[in-house]
Amino acid sequence: MLNTPERITTDILVIGGGSSGLWTAKGAKEADPNADVLIVDKSFRDWGGLMHLSGGDLEVCRGGDSAEDWVKDFTYYWDGLCQQDVMETIWQQSHEIFEEYQRLGCTYLKDDEGSYRSVPQRSLDHVRLFPVAVKGTGGPNARAAMIREMERLGVRRLGRIEITELIKKNDRIVGAVGFNYVTGQPLIFQAKAVVIAAGIASWKPSYNQNTACGEGPCLAFRAGAVLRNFEFLHIWNVPRDFEWEGQTVLMPLGAKFVNREGEVFMNRYSPILGPNTDPHYITRGMALETLAGRGPITLDLSAIEEKDHPIVRPKAGRHLLHYDKLIDEGIDFFRDKFEWITQVQLSNGAVETGENGETAVKGLYCAGRCRSLDPGVYMGGFALMTTAITGRMSGRAAAEFIAGAEAVDLDTKAAASMLEATFAPLGKEGVTPAEVLTDLQKIITPYDVSILKTAGALHRAQQQLQQLREEKLSHLAAADPHYLLKLEEVKAIADVTDFYLTAALFREDSRAGHFRADFPHRYDDWLCWVNLYNEGGRAVPKKKFVPTADYKFPVERFYCDNFTF
Amino acid sequence: MIRFINAELCIGCGTCVENCPLDTLRMNDEGKAYIAYGDDCHSCYLCELACPVGAIFVHPFKKPFPSPFSHLKEGGEDNA
Ligand SMILES: Cc1cc2nc3c(=O)[nH]c(=O)nc-3n(C[C@H](O)[C@H](O)[C@H](O)COP(=O)(O)OP(=O)(O)OC[C@H]3O[C@@H](n4cnc5c(N)ncnc54)[C@H](O)[C@@H]3O)c2cc1C
Ligand code: SF4
Ligand code: SF4
Repeated sequence: MLNTPERITTDILVIGGGSSGLWTAKGAKEADPNADVLIVDKSFRDWGGLMHLSGGDLEVCRGGDSAEDWVKDFTYYWDGLCQQDVMETIWQQSHEIFEEYQRLGCTYLKDDEGSYRSVPQRSLDHVRLFPVAVKGTGGPNARAAMIREMERLGVRRLGRIEITELIKKNDRIVGAVGFNYVTGQPLIFQAKAVVIAAGIASWKPSYNQNTACGEGPCLAFRAGAVLRNFEFLHIWNVPRDFEWEGQTVLMPLGAKFVNREGEVFMNRYSPILGPNTDPHYITRGMALETLAGRGPITLDLSAIEEKDHPIVRPKAGRHLLHYDKLIDEGIDFFRDKFEWITQVQLSNGAVETGENGETAVKGLYCAGRCRSLDPGVYMGGFALMTTAITGRMSGRAAAEFIAGAEAVDLDTKAAASMLEATFAPLGKEGVTPAEVLTDLQKIITPYDVSILKTAGALHRAQQQLQQLREEKLSHLAAADPHYLLKLEEVKAIADVTDFYLTAALFREDSRAGHFRADFPHRYDDWLCWVNLYNEGGRAVPKKKFVPTADYKFPVERFYCDNFTF
Repeated sequence: MIRFINAELCIGCGTCVENCPLDTLRMNDEGKAYIAYGDDCHSCYLCELACPVGAIFVHPFKKPFPSPFSHLKEGGEDNA
């Protein structure tokens, strides 16, 4: 029998306390200091999300560049799939966030003359990243600064709580349910507005990213929000045996992936860009090289200049500890050759929103990586900057919404029955979440499912997923509340796998982070997003065309055209 | 992945348990930290960095992910 749920009331409930959740709370409190804002996170209170583990480097539009210059770069880099108005607003605000972080005590690298150092990204004309002053301190410093802000602003925070469902009344979101997985206490949250800042989905790749598992987009989808960009995966090139943080600065500063013969193979796949491009193109090259028997792939760092060492070499914190531990194992990252592989890390799919993070559901907002902006190709410093800005936007919008919204009493009985369903597998015997996770990783990993995709392979993966649902997912059990959390996570990862396969199969075109070996070109009738709509619980894909007529800048250059794949 | 917590050194302060993002560590009945859910570790070192007495060792290698050829080994078709 379920313990009596505890009921907690707030004005704005923020699900997730990472970069976007913290900036949401800041935006909401600054807009309305009287609003009660509560952050709940499934990790420990105030851990700060992936920002805590991150490099802390930021993309900032500054130094003579205009937001319009950046929007043109993004339209080109994203092969047309760029919401130009939204991205212009974002880059207009980026300098303000950069200054705010510095006001809060964060520091960024400067040269001897006192000018900021920056690293151009992906051979683009304007977009660049600003590295932190001391490599290894950036993420922890940004997190500490934001927690001080939470204290100053009086934001309430709770940790170790997994939110499992949103509560709706008269088509409006009025709260959520969840549980504390250490104590096993079920919880009901009543709120006037809810912001999901729960990140995107990971298949738990061990790249310090095993936290968010797609619960955010899944919660929003079940409540009726529309999903977008699910055909794009976040695939990274990683050392086979360990993780390494900071690739977005290595490539522009001269690092090159080479095959067994020492050939810089990306020169073959892109004579124009060569090795300095995005991992989503490099991993395609790596897969082809490996399939052609020219593996293993290694990274050549010999061209990195001494003056750039402060940008690439860890100097403090967990990054330095990691470097030193590898030395103890006989591996010097900057000296030795070791194998690199491709790895599916995250889903890039998230929730489609309006300009300020509002979803198709009244009272529900999405921020950070849980709000979809980008089609799978990445640039260093993009995530921390955009999660801050979209967080602040959602916080402000939610504060405005609650000012005009009536309080709604949620139905405690209905909430309690949602919790009963969540707790049903607790204490039972059955399939473990760990077993299902391994199966899901196996389904998503094959080259022909994740990198050089084909209809045949995607169908095969769909069948495997269906079989997994029938044979194992429906028999999941949790020995204790910790495993109930793990169970919720694998359920979300399974749904995300489903969204991915549906969208990847639907897009018969190749652009940005999506490559179909059976449709290897971009086609004009695919200058659209693939949106997923909830029709009776099923994710139904539909094209949403890019509004080129309303675009400020024409879509006439395509980054994917630089490649011969 | 987390390898061990030295119970002799552990002073039972609970800092590592509080600082593990994945709830991998818990306190046992003797008031010492132990690895309760080792499989969940994602090698972030937050516990090791926080431990005041150096009782924790996290190994720098990660858990292997399935190979991109796993479908071939299992007899699936090669569409790549
Ligand atoms: C090692 C590493 C280095 C990086 N370096 C950089 C960098 O230098 N520059 C850069 O721009 N980006 C970097 N990134 C990426 C960047 O840190 C993240 O993309 C960004 O912080 C994501 O913010 P977010 O708020 O959207 O999501 P997250 O940080 O994932 O936060 C989501 C939060 O929601 C919580 N949550 C999830 N589901 C639930 C639920 N159901 N109930 C309650 N809580 C839930 C999670 O615990 C988490 O705390 C790096 C990432 C990593 C892993
Ligand atoms: S390394 Fe990180 S995930 Fe692993 S036990 Fe320590 S704090 Fe937890
Ligand atoms: S932080 Fe160190 S001393 Fe404190 S409980 Fe953990 S292992 Fe023991």
